Amino acid sequence: MKRTTGIMISLAILFPIYAFALENPVAMIKISTGTGNIIRNGVSMEAKKGAELFQRDSLKTGADGSISVVFKDDTLISIGPNSELAINEFLYSPAEGKLSFIARLLKGTSAYVSGIIGKLSPQSVRFETPVANIGIRGTKFAVKLEEVD
Amino acid sequence: MKLCRVLLAAALALFCLASCVKSGKNMKNMVVVLLPGPDGKIGQIVVSNEGGSRIIGEPGVATKVSSPKEAPSEPFVMNKEKIKEEFGEVLSILPSPPLHFTLYFHTGTTIITEESRKLLVGILPQIAYRKTMEVSVVGHTDRVGSRKMNYRLGLDRAMEIKQLLVSQGIDPRIIETESHGKDNPLIKTEDGVPEPRNRRVEVILR
Repeated sequence: MKRTTGIMISLAILFPIYAFALENPVAMIKISTGTGNIIRNGVSMEAKKGAELFQRDSLKTGADGSISVVFKDDTLISIGPNSELAINEFLYSPAEGKLSFIARLLKGTSAYVSGIIGKLSPQSVRFETPVANIGIRGTKFAVKLEEVD
Repeated sequence: MKLCRVLLAAALALFCLASCVKSGKNMKNMVVVLLPGPDGKIGQIVVSNEGGSRIIGEPGVATKVSSPKEAPSEPFVMNKEKIKEEFGEVLSILPSPPLHFTLYFHTGTTIITEESRKLLVGILPQIAYRKTMEVSVVGHTDRVGSRKMNYRLGLDRAMEIKQLLVSQGIDPRIIETESHGKDNPLIKTEDGVPEPRNRRVEVILR
């Protein structure tokens, strides 16, 4: 009985880790200042320097926070205070021709520098916001969303 | 009765105010500005929504979007001071782009060429200088031999480079190794072609 419980608990603890391990990380946090969180499957955790990020993760900063991220294809993204960015899709397997990058800024400010996906397949890169989408042809830009009263 | 009306009016007014504030909160303005890339190159952005689209191809030029149904505004110039004021913080924390190095090997072996050995020495100070947090070491082979054998050879080459980096004091915990075997040639060749430029390890400092 005790043993079964033990196994069950181990499985419960191990399973979410295993679920994440099935997917490869797509990016890493390079700089994180002030209050910042990673939201993964509805669970919020501190956005620490060096933390790995996966597809469908979101980043959220407080009034004093900012985060910068390096993706596996060299794409760079930073977000400023009171910002929220979702990594909706990131596929990077040049050998198989699978390339896609879709990010969405929900609020705040962000800067973007394109990486290898942008060079190999610019049409596969999309930076979305609630009011417009930004298509990118090998470049750098900064974007800001303002609340309107 | 009178009180009732006053209360009703007050409730209505509150409701209006609340919904105005709420809808105001949901409305967003977007401003996007094109900037020169880290290599100095200027690209293009295409800003589009239901209302239309706008192409921007000059640095320091911006467009504003007020609603998903309204086309992006006429492009306008945003001066350096304004860019700094609006975007100083996000721009200052953007990391420098990852550095890539390619090291070449003698055929069928994990022995790097003399030239590549010199290049490897140059990588070491960069790892420290850039405060590198992740070193990706990816082994590749040419297209001679089986997939399985080349996967193994690519991995052995990557491990060899990892060992050389670790022996020079690089923390093994920041080094990740992988093999693409014969599947990701730098120079696309037919299967079975011995191409020296495909016998390589790519080192990426992030």
